[in-house]
Amino acid sequence: MEPGELQTEYVGRRGRLFGLALRTSLMTVLSLGLYRFWMKTRLRRFYWSAIRPGGHPLEYVGLPMEKLLGFLIAVVFLAFYIGIANLALMFVSLSLFGTSLWATALSFLGILPVLFYARYRARRYILARTRWRGIGFGLEPAAWGYAWRALAHWAVTILSLGLLWPRMTFWLEKYRTDRTWFGNARMHQGGRWQMLYRPFLVFLISLFGTAVVIAVAVASVPAGTVVPVGAGPLFGLAAVSVVACGFMHYRIQAFRLLTEHKRLGGLGFRARPRLWRVLRIYLFGYGLAGLAMLALGLALAIAVAIPFAGVPGIVPPGSPGEDPFAIASALPLWVSLALGAGAYFTLFVMWSVLRQVFVTLPLARHYAETLEIRNAGALSRLGRRAGEDAGHAEGFAEALDVEAAL
Amino acid sequence: MSETVIRVGAAPPVLRGSADFLDGERAVVQRAQFRIRETPDGPVLEIRPPEAPPLYWPLGALRALPDQAGDDMLVLAPAEGGAARLLLRDAEARAVISARCPDLTRRPPPRLQGRLIAWALAAVGSVALIVFLLVPALADRLADLLPPEGERALGDVTYRQIRSAFSEDGLEPLPVCTGAAGLAALEAMQARIAGPVELPHPLRLEVLDHPMNNAFALPGGRIVLFRGLIEQVASPEEVAAVLAHEIGHVAGRDPTRGALRAAGSVGVVGLILGDFAGGALVQLLIGRLIEAGYSQAAEAAADDFAHRTLAAAGVRPSVLADIFVRLRVEGGDAPGIAAHFMDHPALLERIAAARRADWLLRSPLRPVLEPAEWAALRRICR
Repeated sequence: MEPGELQTEYVGRRGRLFGLALRTSLMTVLSLGLYRFWMKTRLRRFYWSAIRPGGHPLEYVGLPMEKLLGFLIAVVFLAFYIGIANLALMFVSLSLFGTSLWATALSFLGILPVLFYARYRARRYILARTRWRGIGFGLEPAAWGYAWRALAHWAVTILSLGLLWPRMTFWLEKYRTDRTWFGNARMHQGGRWQMLYRPFLVFLISLFGTAVVIAVAVASVPAGTVVPVGAGPLFGLAAVSVVACGFMHYRIQAFRLLTEHKRLGGLGFRARPRLWRVLRIYLFGYGLAGLAMLALGLALAIAVAIPFAGVPGIVPPGSPGEDPFAIASALPLWVSLALGAGAYFTLFVMWSVLRQVFVTLPLARHYAETLEIRNAGALSRLGRRAGEDAGHAEGFAEALDVEAAL
Repeated sequence: MSETVIRVGAAPPVLRGSADFLDGERAVVQRAQFRIRETPDGPVLEIRPPEAPPLYWPLGALRALPDQAGDDMLVLAPAEGGAARLLLRDAEARAVISARCPDLTRRPPPRLQGRLIAWALAAVGSVALIVFLLVPALADRLADLLPPEGERALGDVTYRQIRSAFSEDGLEPLPVCTGAAGLAALEAMQARIAGPVELPHPLRLEVLDHPMNNAFALPGGRIVLFRGLIEQVASPEEVAAVLAHEIGHVAGRDPTRGALRAAGSVGVVGLILGDFAGGALVQLLIGRLIEAGYSQAAEAAADDFAHRTLAAAGVRPSVLADIFVRLRVEGGDAPGIAAHFMDHPALLERIAAARRADWLLRSPLRPVLEPAEWAALRRICR
């Protein structure tokens, strides 16, 4: 009855997302951040429902109130940790080493396990709140196990100078995948970690190739040669771009390979994201968002400047009239504070909205449209898991804002 | 279900069709027949899946999923919850349902309220305990234990932060003013005011090239004056009064306490605010607010120190009052939030205290700087 393969449709439109993101971001700013739990929920409903594997949308059933609750619980415990630990670390670092750098490093190390823990918990919360075809996903509770494994893998990766990166990628993904459920079916991550070395080799080549080119270029320029202005930064930018492309290639191909080796109760998957498409989305997306921001910034500057230009008495005598800071310092403190805060929040909100519209949505579209479900007939055997329960709260993630990494 | 329905007026539009139905039990899409039936209890949406008994969803208790990306589909759910869904694509059917379901977009009643209130109270309590009791108490204790090198390192970090925070282009740190004659004048002033005083650290006094009327004491004996202060005061005595006040902070090791408190508190405040709008700036402002709140007692002590030091150096202590009056005029008459951000709350009280302190004066008044020195100090950033 079911066709063998299900394609994924994507129905998210930029205009609709723009309106939703702008409204909810403004509410968040106006509510001093409280509305962010509602904002996140509403945006997720949008993003989820835009993805339609086999023509049927994903559903996000998370609630703002439970996010708020999780956040409050996290605050109760984390406030002690962050407040006292930061202070103690600062003191130890200052009195033992005479610098505060160690405090920063140590407090980062101290928060790392919590960060990994939070990331797993956030994934668990999100999966438990995601449904497709009326059936919920789930992730088994194993966050501390994940946290210490992630720490160990990072240590091994760093000790191997990054050469064992694919091993970490694979085993952490396998840990998460093998604990993921769709209804009554458990997901399984197949394949081997060595399979990720082909794309990783491309990254290594881009890295070492760039290093060699730089070394040769530096050595071949005779000492005392006048290098044209801007040649250095331009060269550096090109080098960084090549390495970034290499890394993106690895990320995309690793995603593709890992996805194609996943199994879910007889279902298989095929992912075909393309490097050039992703790069184009980043380049044009950030380019467009940047241009829009520039235009907005100019408009704001003009809007702020116009009321004060040519008003006699506002520019104090003796100060150079063309100095914009002179205008700012002549205003009452609260007026300049309000203007500054208004402009700052406008720019901040617009940047986050534009980034979603021009980068996040096109990326989601590309990854969705290149995803296929194979052997879809097996879906008829899948159903609700008995006693399906979600547990509350991605609170720790909310409080630590590891969201960006997800 | 009764088949007899008494209708008054025009008959409501008949709606029937087929749509994808998800029963929430199996991951299978069923093509179900649906129609609206008028019953004595009101209109009901009847859904007949191919292999299951029919379902009846009252139109009054029908909800559409909110914030959906596609406007080609209405996803219907019963208000009482559950995972069953009817995916309505047909445009006419969507229009009829939208017209006939009164509460289609009504949100579910809030849940978790009791727990939410309990945890909110716990969170507020724990944060208040940490920010207003634990961190200050710990910071005060630790500030006394901190070795001088550590204190100087803390001061250097804060100094760098101030120079880059006030940087005008956001790239180069705020420049230090190095006019030779101005520095000599500054040194003379420092010797006159701080000469006879015992301090935990040797003073390191610098002028930064910024138009703001401000001065800070930092941990480890650093004092920073902004160019704007030197340009906007009326006399060298007023600079000396500000200097004496900041030296009072150094003597009380207030900046060290403040910096340690900030190290503990700012992270907690950031935790609460999240990243809702470029957390860094908001945290900076809030951190400032906390610090300003902390320092009221410390400000009074530093004023007191300034009164005695100025009097001993042959400068009228009430000069400090002159500066506060000017601060108040420039800050407008906004006693609330603006006063907090000016770092000097309860200004009126302090003005009165400085005016009362002139009785301390025992030696005859002497100018702090010669006119030539004062002129040089005002040009220190040129």
